[in-house]
Parts: sequence; C-alpha cells; structure tokens
Amino acid sequence: MSRGSAKIHEADLLAYVDGVLDEHRRSEVEAYLSANPESAETVEAWQRQNGAIRELYGHVAEEAVPTRLDIHRIAERRRRGSGPVRLAAAAAVLLALGVAGGWFARDALAPFAGEQAVLVSEAMAAHRLYSSEVVHPVEVAAPQEAHLATWLSKRLDRPLNIPDLRSAGFDLVGGRLLPAGGRPAAQFMYEDASGLRVTLYIVPTPDKREMAFRYASSDRLHSFYWRDAMISCALVGDLPREQLRVLALDTYRQLE
Amino acid sequence: MPALLDDIEACVPALRRYARALTHDADRADDLVQDCLERAVRKRFLWRPTGTVRAWLFKMLLNIHRNDLRRERRARGAFVAGVPPVEPSAPAAQPSRLALAETARAMQGLPPEQREALLLVVLEGLSYSEAATVLSIPVGTLMSRIGRARAALRRLADSEAPRLRSVK
Repeated sequence: MSRGSAKIHEADLLAYVDGVLDEHRRSEVEAYLSANPESAETVEAWQRQNGAIRELYGHVAEEAVPTRLDIHRIAERRRRGSGPVRLAAAAAVLLALGVAGGWFARDALAPFAGEQAVLVSEAMAAHRLYSSEVVHPVEVAAPQEAHLATWLSKRLDRPLNIPDLRSAGFDLVGGRLLPAGGRPAAQFMYEDASGLRVTLYIVPTPDKREMAFRYASSDRLHSFYWRDAMISCALVGDLPREQLRVLALDTYRQLE
Repeated sequence: MPALLDDIEACVPALRRYARALTHDADRADDLVQDCLERAVRKRFLWRPTGTVRAWLFKMLLNIHRNDLRRERRARGAFVAGVPPVEPSAPAAQPSRLALAETARAMQGLPPEQREALLLVVLEGLSYSEAATVLSIPVGTLMSRIGRARAALRRLADSEAPRLRSVK
C-alpha cells in the first residue's frame, strides 16, 4: 500500500480512519488517497464500518442507567454486608497502603498466623520439589489448560480460573494436584523465557475469612500470599520481591 | 473514596455500551457491567493511579467477560460460546438498516480479541496506546488486530450482502 509520493502504510490508513493522525500526516494520507482509488475505497469501507458500529451501539450510552448499576448503592450494600472479618481484611489492606505504601501488612491479622505459616511452607515445599523437575514438572501440561482448570476446579470444589501471566513474560507450564494435610491443593507452574519458574499454590479457604496480601521469604524463595472467601493462594518464586509483587498483583486480579 | 466512586460512575454509560457491543445482548451486558462494578468496589483499595480509571474498568470488564466465555465453553464442551443471533432484518428494510444488520452479524463472526480491540477504538474512542494498555498488548499488536478485524468485516459484509439482497 505504499505507492504514491509519501510513503503510506496500512497503519497510516488505519490511523487516518480512527482519527489519530496529526494534521501533516493526515494531509499526506489524503493526497495519497486521491491518487490511489483502491486505497480510497478501502478507507471508505472502513469509515462505513465505523459509522455502522456507532449507530448500532452508540445509543446505549444515552440510555438511563438501571439502578442495579448504581455504583454508590453497590458500595453501600457492600459496606452494610461486611462483617467484622471483612472489615479487618479491608483494614489490613489500608494499613498496608498507609504504612508501607505497598501491599505488605505485617501481622495485621495475628489469629490467622498459624494457618498462613502452613500455607506458605506447603507452597514453598511444593515449589522446591517440582520447579526443579525437568521431565515431569507438571501432571497436566499447558496445552490441556481447559481440562486442567476443570479438573482442579472439581477437586478443590470451587471454580478456578488459571491466571494468564504472559503479559509479565511468564507462560503457563501446567499444573498438578497435591495433598495438603488431607485436603486437595492445586499448583500451577509458570516459566519465563529464561526458564525461571514461579508456582501458584491454591487451597480452598475453609471458613470464608479473607486476608490481605502478605509477604514471606525463606531460603532464597519469596512468596506473596493472600486469601479470599473461596481460595487461599501463595505465589512462590526465586525472583526479586518487587517483580514477584507485580506478578502477584496480576494473579490476584485475575482470580475471582 | 467518594472521588473514585464518582469517577467510576462517570464510566458506567461507556461500560454498558461496550458490554452491549461485546455480548450483543442487553441483559447479559448489564450483568457483565454489574459484575465489573462489584469487583471494582471490592478491589478499589488496590487501585493505583498509574493509569486512568476508565482503562482499569475496561480491563476488569474484559477479564470477567473472558472468564465467562471460558466457563461457558467448558460447560458446553466443544462449542464456542455464541452470541444470540441478530434478529433477521425484515425484507422491506431500508438499505442502511440492512448494512447495520450485516455489520452486527459480521461483528459477531470476528474472533473475540479482534472484536475487543476494534470496539475499544471505534466505539469507545480510546487512543491506540490506551486500548493497548487495556488489552495488555503492544500497540503494534493492537493495530494488526484492528487491521485484521476491518478486513474480516469487509469480507463478511461482502459475502452477506448478496444473500440478503436476494431475500427481497
């Protein structure tokens, strides 16, 4: 698509149609279009697409918003619905934000400390055992991701979405089922281009109590761990704390 | 955090519009927006003012939507989660209505990642870089998705057109 005087590529035509070119480039594209009827036709077709899409759906934004989508009501309902434990978890996050400027709430929920210690030590032990495995690092490999999610969701008796960490450079290797003190646990393994592995360890939360983010480290391994009403998670890896924190944040956001 | 709630509130009409275009189903779209808003309320303490509230919300909405599709796909086995078909346009429809129906149908035939990208830019008016952030992809990838979406729409619309006309 680059016949004509100025070099015009398809990207320029797209940007032209989407109205994101500066004035100079825009006039170059216009000059090009007047000399290239075929491209001009393409651009017109794209403009018609824009028109049709806006006509089809544009009006939705003009409609009155139903009350169930009133954000203040939703926030209010959640405030009223939150028991002391939820408040405690929220307070822990606030404390973390306020005190550390990050995520790290130190012992804000001391009563859970024993359970958390178990979660992290299990997660780290599982990481040490399997992340160094070359031949069989996982039971079910990434190509069977859908099967893996179904299987582990069934075994843990709650829906698990396998987080996608590719935007941070980590591909899913796969996952496995593990015993955790008589209960089932799931482990998902990810790996970056250099072969560095992180694992996500998940057990069902027994009592629906939520917990803010915590950080622990032991013998070169680091972990961020948290729990919501459904699952307790620990992300484990031998990588800088800040990088792990970013991954954990991403993971947390993707897990319901 | 009343200010953040107000910022979120200002985005609700756009979220509804985007969700409607993604799902092509009014109820489903509002369910999706509701899930998104509830998640936003739940996670608002984690929101970092690194990007715009709008981008944060769109990203969340898309994650929920993709998870929904994945769950449905799983539930239905091999079937890809479909969107309800558009009402067939009446034979006497105006040409412009016909073009709209073709576009609606063709939009639904697009791979989800192309539809997501195209709608963010065309319908929601996001800049390429903001849309790329929402989708967690490089700008080049975004543009190539938009380019492929446009080419496919053109093809699909062209192939639909004769069939629809013959109905008259």
